Amino acid sequence: MMIELMDITKSYGSEENLYPVLRGISFNIQDGDFVVLLGPSGSGKSTLLNVISGLERPDSGRILYDNTDITAMSDEELTFFRKEYVGFIFQQYYLLPNLTVDKNVKMGADLAGNRNYRQIIEAVGLVDKMDKYPSELSGGEQQRVAIARALAKKPRILFLDEPTGALDEETGRLVLDYLCRLREEYRFTMLMVTHNNNIAEMAGTVIRMNSGRIVDRYNNSTIKSAYEIGW
Amino acid sequence: MIIQIKDGIKLIAISIISCCAVFVCNLFMNFNIDIARIKGLISNPEVMTFYEAQLTMSRVTCAVSGGCLLLTSVIMLFFYIKHYIDSHRKELGILKALGYSNIKIAKGFWVFGLSVFTGCGLGFASSYALMPLFYKVMNPDVPMHFNIILALYLVILPAVFFCGLAIIYSCKKLKRPVLDLLRDRESSYAGKKRRKEQKDKEQSFIQDLKQATVKGRPALMFFIALASFCYSSMMQMSFSMDELSSRMFAVILIVIGIILACTTLFLAIITVVNANTRSIAIMQAFGYSWKDCSGAILGGYRLLAYIGFAIGTIYQYLLIKSMVSIFSKTSADIPEYKFDTKSFVVVLISFVIIYELVMRRYSARIKKISIKEIMLK
Repeated sequence: MMIELMDITKSYGSEENLYPVLRGISFNIQDGDFVVLLGPSGSGKSTLLNVISGLERPDSGRILYDNTDITAMSDEELTFFRKEYVGFIFQQYYLLPNLTVDKNVKMGADLAGNRNYRQIIEAVGLVDKMDKYPSELSGGEQQRVAIARALAKKPRILFLDEPTGALDEETGRLVLDYLCRLREEYRFTMLMVTHNNNIAEMAGTVIRMNSGRIVDRYNNSTIKSAYEIGW
Repeated sequence: MIIQIKDGIKLIAISIISCCAVFVCNLFMNFNIDIARIKGLISNPEVMTFYEAQLTMSRVTCAVSGGCLLLTSVIMLFFYIKHYIDSHRKELGILKALGYSNIKIAKGFWVFGLSVFTGCGLGFASSYALMPLFYKVMNPDVPMHFNIILALYLVILPAVFFCGLAIIYSCKKLKRPVLDLLRDRESSYAGKKRRKEQKDKEQSFIQDLKQATVKGRPALMFFIALASFCYSSMMQMSFSMDELSSRMFAVILIVIGIILACTTLFLAIITVVNANTRSIAIMQAFGYSWKDCSGAILGGYRLLAYIGFAIGTIYQYLLIKSMVSIFSKTSADIPEYKFDTKSFVVVLISFVIIYELVMRRYSARIKKISIKEIMLK
């Protein structure tokens, strides 16, 4: 699924104190690519991720998924779009606290009618934790549940907002390694926001942002694994 | 300290209940004290019988309305404290980790007693405003006095009692391991219990969620059932009293019943909606429709609300029936009490309308907030 962004702008605040976060962003993402959005805090990368994924609407511009403009969609259509195509992994995990690991993953699986979701729990190494609640897991384990939940709905595009931001180095590497292996297996497009320059070495395409603008964009000739990059 | 005066003010439901309780009790207790003063002047046996009947009615009214409302206030206070501690686990955990003792933190909860003081004060003052009319209707021969001792019994003592109760109960609830509070997790016992409930049930995620949401928050489950119980019993009792007591007494009860019933129900629904906002946002981000989200998360409370309503109906019927049977032993004028089907139907219809409208209105408000905004909260 090809994604095309055309002159996206987004501002926050009231009319008197309008703060532009995205200032005319345009680029394409090829089907199956692993794209990293790099930039310092406040550069607008998380807002851009939210806008591309349909969680937020831009003030102007168009976002085309295989020539279908999602900015023209109603709320119900956007919900359906997210259901059909999109998976999310957030820095804060956002697991449902009242549900076990198994049921949290089932939340994603049910949307895609995926009855074999337990294979994914196995793939992320949490079979022995299936009956645990999120509060009974470590940060790394919670993030792996979030990964399993996102993948259980068989997304075409996976959006990740600082997925290793709250993890230590070792757990962070483990999570990234899982993600890359699963991407190869399930063949989805991945768009990850991070401020860690080294993670960019794992991606096919790197987009650098600053002050709401794209300042650089390049493709990596050699892609490194999670255990080859610095931290 | 994280518990501030504004947190105490949030307990407006307790203020309203206290206000109503003191309003009724002060009217009847003041009348009771004043009527007792003229006992020595009564020589006619018929007048004495009338006097005794009024005295008994005042005592029973004070005991029933005051007692019921006191119990409701205590339950609501416990609910609010538990809800407050549950939703501020991290902050309280940080305080405990820094070395604050349970009692030191719990002392801050005295502000929750302020709500009772405010309500009692208002109820006390407003009852004096109505008292001349009340005396005129009840017995114009009884001279009205301002009995200052009642301010101690009905305003000061309840406020002190509730402040103390808030401190003791919160101290008990704070007895949890610091790490459980910091990591925002419940006790291991509750975890095991819920795990057992969720295991080996092969049903759709929406069904799982519906059950887990309701069972995962027993305090909310209780609160919504209690609010529906209060609505059902208070409203039906108020309407039924119309036939059994004086017109004025019935009007007072109906007004108080409507205020209390609507307040508790309204607050219960708002609490339920607010407590589940984040879960709805997460589900929406994943592509669940609004209907699925609100149906699974908020719809789970509907059954409890109707169960609460049914229990309230039975409770008020039995209470009035027993009161009537007690009174009919001393007076032959009291009519036989039968279940008031008309009141039941009217109250049930109003309950369904209010419950569904408030739930829809408040859940629609979440719909207007962006998913990002909800998740950032």
